[in-house]
Amino acid sequence: MKDVLTKEKVFNHGIDKVWRAISRGEEISKWFIQADFKPEVGYEYTFTATEEHGGTKISGTVLEATPYNLKYTWRVGDTPVETIVSWHLEDEGGQTKLTLEHSGISKFGEETAIEMFEHFNQGWDACFTTLKSYVNNEETAPAH
Amino acid sequence: MKKPHPHIDRIFKAIADPTRRSIFHALVIAGSAMPINEVAERFEMSRQGVTKHIKILEAAKLIQIHQRGRERFCMASAQPLKSISQWLQFYEQFWDQSLDRLGQHLDGVD
Repeated sequence: MKDVLTKEKVFNHGIDKVWRAISRGEEISKWFIQADFKPEVGYEYTFTATEEHGGTKISGTVLEATPYNLKYTWRVGDTPVETIVSWHLEDEGGQTKLTLEHSGISKFGEETAIEMFEHFNQGWDACFTTLKSYVNNEETAPAH
Repeated sequence: MKKPHPHIDRIFKAIADPTRRSIFHALVIAGSAMPINEVAERFEMSRQGVTKHIKILEAAKLIQIHQRGRERFCMASAQPLKSISQWLQFYEQFWDQSLDRLGQHLDGVD
């Protein structure tokens, strides 16, 4: 199973204009998703989907924000799965080539079933408090 | 807190135990059906002990059990992994549509 989903697209616009569109909260809100976002390393951003898309929140931390590289973690709702989205822009004679990578997907791939369980363990810690009681009722110790 | 879906409950119960995680890993790596006796030998457990773990894994649909002659075989189920490939497909589409919208946005603003 592949680890990275990659998309490439060339826009007939200057690189700085594309950079603003992907890195400024007020612009991201116009074409992508309602965004509380700043292109500052360490910024804890929140994207909020519209009600018709369930009002889902996506959150994460900005890892890199230097023109023309933008990278942030990507966590949907309160799920324990954290993946990484990165954007890279290149000037191609006035046009701009955008490369988008969404990585971390193979954490759940067949070759790393172990990590899949790590993911479940984190989920366990994070939110399934209702389960604790009946796991504690077993004779075997919980995972942690 | 809202109670999770019963099936999710079973998955979490199944994997909360390190022995069951090891059993599932061994079956994933084996890539084929393994007799319950062999699982028991490998984990130095009684057949009774291993059967108990396997039943919990089966309830979570993480493994399937088949009877062949006198022997019962268990096999890891690919279902949890399938949901991952669906996840990939979802994001393929999601990013395609998003980048199309970015293009429209850029074309519209100057």
